[in-house]
Amino acid sequence: MPVTRLLYPLYQLGNPQLRIFRPSWFLTLVRPGKEQPQDTVQFRIPMEMTKYDVKNYLEKIYNVPVGVIRTRIQFGSNKKRNHLNQKVKQPDYKVAYVQLALGQTFTFPDIFPEKERAPAEGSMEEMQEKFMEDEKQRQKLDPRRGGVTEWFGL
Amino acid sequence: MAARTRLPLLFPRNLFPFRSQKLVHTEVSVKEPAYPPIVPSLTAKSKSARRRQIEEWVKKICTSSVEDKLSLITRIQREKFVVYPQTFARNADRWYQHFTKTAYIPGLPEKFTPGLEKTKAAVPGIDDDAFADIRSLVTRVILQEHWQFRKRKPFMYRHQEQVVGPFLRSLVSGLTYSLAKYNPLLQLSSLDLSPQVNFYWRRGQRIIPKGHRKRRLEPTRFQIDDRPHSQIRVTQQLPQFMPLEASHAAEVPEITLRPNVMPLFRRQYDNNIFTGAKLPDPACYGHTQFHLVPDRYHRDRMVRQQQADQVEVFLRANALASLFAWTGAQAMYQGFWNYEDVTRPFVSQAVITDGHFFSFFCYQLNTVALSVETDANNPRKNLLWGTESLRLYESVQDGEVVGLNDGVVKLLVQFFMNQP
Repeated sequence: MPVTRLLYPLYQLGNPQLRIFRPSWFLTLVRPGKEQPQDTVQFRIPMEMTKYDVKNYLEKIYNVPVGVIRTRIQFGSNKKRNHLNQKVKQPDYKVAYVQLALGQTFTFPDIFPEKERAPAEGSMEEMQEKFMEDEKQRQKLDPRRGGVTEWFGL
Repeated sequence: MAARTRLPLLFPRNLFPFRSQKLVHTEVSVKEPAYPPIVPSLTAKSKSARRRQIEEWVKKICTSSVEDKLSLITRIQREKFVVYPQTFARNADRWYQHFTKTAYIPGLPEKFTPGLEKTKAAVPGIDDDAFADIRSLVTRVILQEHWQFRKRKPFMYRHQEQVVGPFLRSLVSGLTYSLAKYNPLLQLSSLDLSPQVNFYWRRGQRIIPKGHRKRRLEPTRFQIDDRPHSQIRVTQQLPQFMPLEASHAAEVPEITLRPNVMPLFRRQYDNNIFTGAKLPDPACYGHTQFHLVPDRYHRDRMVRQQQADQVEVFLRANALASLFAWTGAQAMYQGFWNYEDVTRPFVSQAVITDGHFFSFFCYQLNTVALSVETDANNPRKNLLWGTESLRLYESVQDGEVVGLNDGVVKLLVQFFMNQP
């Protein structure tokens, strides 16, 4: 059943309309593992949903114009064994490939961009970094020796 | 002290008869030694041996007859992508253009004047009376199918097969026979009903990701198996629409993704190359193909579901794949293949209809060399011209055809009248 059981007060003529029908299905947008065309978006959907459910979901709730949808079920492996030699099952999940209509495109954004970590002026981190750098510099050997150790000297 | 040799007193001319033989021997030893040519081995497990095997195979095919060529090229079966001309995949026409190296040019070539004028401008070779006859023939055929026959309501999703199929068949045969007196090519032509057209080619390559052949390069193979509604085959080739060199400037969309994302599926079965008739048939060149739209293709439903652009995409992809397969098979029948490219362009036409809407397409095949080795320095591209869907008539009311579009009839007549 798409909607879980909720209890609303008994309706009589003239009461305000309180019932809200929201599906208890949730879609997860994922980054595609293999290269997909520009207009294809990849979702993980609950096993009970069908292609037409996904289409209606996206069109009615999110106003996304949807062209064609293809689904497949990914089998979660049952091969791994735990310390008791019992098989451990990874859960199965359904994947939907949604192609957008009206020539729209979508690229999965970069969620973890590289940040340049420059410590703030006058803070502890900056002094610590400077100290570590000086230590490392002192530990280094004379560059004129060309990487040879101190053992082979006088 | 010099030893006394027994020389005669007088020296005759021939005293030392074998003296000059020494010079003969020295000449022979100065001549260049003749060694056999140094070529890589044929049977070693090395890359140069593999290259030589491929060269020997190519030479063997080049020197054999056409039947042997076809059987040698299609002998080995391997997994290939099956390209269906009538597909509902989105943006199928861009994918198919990439697979067949075809550039799409909207509109028809200058030979066919735009058919949307309302005047009965003379088609070359047809005067107004003949055009009026053709027009009345078309009206008769439409009325016969839609008005005069007492047909039961067609079964669900079989409207095209049961109503439009017979209409198109009678229209095509009627037009062929009535225009045969103006076009001598049609007198020796062959009208096939529901023929098979197959083509097999290789394009592009990929690195095999898994398995015992991992990390090796594999060419991607394609196969088209098509059944047009009807086609006309002729004994002489149609003239080209554009010279070969002019196709160098055309643009073909490049797609770097693998075809299975399209979605396109792989299978392994017989590789067939067939134009619609076997090799010894004299009518080996193609003239026109007629295609019916499948029953699941509903224009109005697609427009309602915000896929209005896909309506034309479907027709274009269908024409592209069918005509490429047909012209490619015609070229193979003449002995041109991947390593021996076509010397003259092969031209064919197609009409795709669903009873009301007609779309006209012209295809010119300039190159068959599509595999990786031959495509590296090949500037030639294939060309597809096509129109949007044009309405033939508005409706049939009270035994009358309302709104018959003369332009579409004129285009049909021009297509039939195309001759060298």
